[in-house]
Amino acid sequence: MQNEKTTVIQAQETPVIELKHVKKYFGDLYVLKDVSLSVKKGEVVVIIGPSGSGKSTLCRTINRLETVDEGEVLIEGKPLPQEGKQLARVRSQIGMVFQSYNLFSHKTILDNVTVGPTDVLHKSKKEARQEALELLKRVGVEDQADKVPAQLSGGQQQRVAIARSLAMHPKAILFDEPTSALDPELIGEVLAVMSELARENMTMVVVTHEMNFARKVADRIIFMDEGRILEENTPEEFFDHPKTQRAKDFLNSIQHHE
Amino acid sequence: MNSQKTSIRDVLYEPPGPRTQKIITAITAVSLVALAALMAAVIRLFYINGQLDAKYWTLFTRFTTWRFIGQGLMGTLRAAAGAGVITFALGMAMMLCRISRYRLARAVGTALVEFTRGVPTLLFIYFFFLIVPQLGFTLSAYWKITLPVAISASGVVAEVLRSGVNAVPRGQSEAALSLGMRERSVFFKIVFPQAFRYVIPSMISELVIVLKDTTFAYVVTYADLMQNAKALISNYDALLSVYLVVAVIYILINYILNRISTALSERGKQR
Repeated sequence: MQNEKTTVIQAQETPVIELKHVKKYFGDLYVLKDVSLSVKKGEVVVIIGPSGSGKSTLCRTINRLETVDEGEVLIEGKPLPQEGKQLARVRSQIGMVFQSYNLFSHKTILDNVTVGPTDVLHKSKKEARQEALELLKRVGVEDQADKVPAQLSGGQQQRVAIARSLAMHPKAILFDEPTSALDPELIGEVLAVMSELARENMTMVVVTHEMNFARKVADRIIFMDEGRILEENTPEEFFDHPKTQRAKDFLNSIQHHE
Repeated sequence: MNSQKTSIRDVLYEPPGPRTQKIITAITAVSLVALAALMAAVIRLFYINGQLDAKYWTLFTRFTTWRFIGQGLMGTLRAAAGAGVITFALGMAMMLCRISRYRLARAVGTALVEFTRGVPTLLFIYFFFLIVPQLGFTLSAYWKITLPVAISASGVVAEVLRSGVNAVPRGQSEAALSLGMRERSVFFKIVFPQAFRYVIPSMISELVIVLKDTTFAYVVTYADLMQNAKALISNYDALLSVYLVVAVIYILINYILNRISTALSERGKQR
């Protein structure tokens, strides 16, 4: 009995994403220095830090777009497979939204959203199409379905990219600086969609420079600098009482702009 | 999307001012006069040499002449189409070798590309014409021309395709991988379709070269446009007139191909 109970509790508490002592080099450059991180189901973790601090690299190790040299990446408690069908399967369960949208430029907006479900999940064209239209509606670009990505604004493209991720029914979504390439007036519409997802309890890892968004939406802030996690705290604590000098300097330099 | 067309001229030069405009007009006028004078001189030369005599041209009033030219043209088009398809298949295979993760495949791909690019078409034709039959393979004249022409062009096609593949931004395959697509799907559904779009103009240029190479058909006595032109020449003793007409036909075909290429890449740009 006792045993059973603990396994149940463990199952509930198994983090969706867990990094254990991850180290990563780009040649001589040491970009991730013993990074550990765990993200629970439904949690929104926002990673901030100066450019070159390794935030994007960290984000990309989670679905093995970057390999790690040492340490472990666990998805739902299981080591991230290194290749082949198993890796593809895990990747299909973790969405990713890129800084440069990376919509498939030769496909229509609708096909961008249906290609994952049809190719990977082997859904019928009809079913995928129907669901895609609903998702496009949800992110507010349903009237663009038959256009190609180049005909859309950056904000619209990024919302389509989010819909493309959602079409796979992911267990978590990684956002790698999703608004950094956008014109200022288009940032809001993308953040709104992301906030909506957070409200619906989507597990999210967000690398961003949008401090207001981080403060409002994050459950936890991770502050990185020079390949290390320097602080990990609630948004209130982090923004109002940063502990390290680096974090204070960083927040100061940002607030001067805002 | 952009209704205003930017030509390469707009990129290279600033818009001409009034003085430059005058110079351009003057040079254009002088060039036109010079060109007309040259044409007149050439025609006069033909006239003096009797090339404009009716006996050299009356053959073109006969239906049989045109039917014969038409048969030759069909031969050329058949050979070019066949060679084009084979070139693409071989080029694709070599390109896939060159981008393979296996070192041996890459080495084989590179060797084949260098070999096919380096050897002149005529040598391949002699190989298929003289050596292959000795080895006991009997090929029809059609294959004796299409295979060597295709092989000769395949290396360049492989490299053109590879340059297209390299030009597709990395983010495209990363996005596809992050959806859980397998490498094969990523390549054939996401990367290659875009790569191919980039290289359509170069591919059509290569098809033009293939088409021109089929004129080597006379070596293997395959009845293409050129071969039939030669027959007309020896029948009517009309060298210049026949070659002129045939040249115009070749120019027309290749002009049409280039128009198709431009149309396709214009359409591609809207994407």
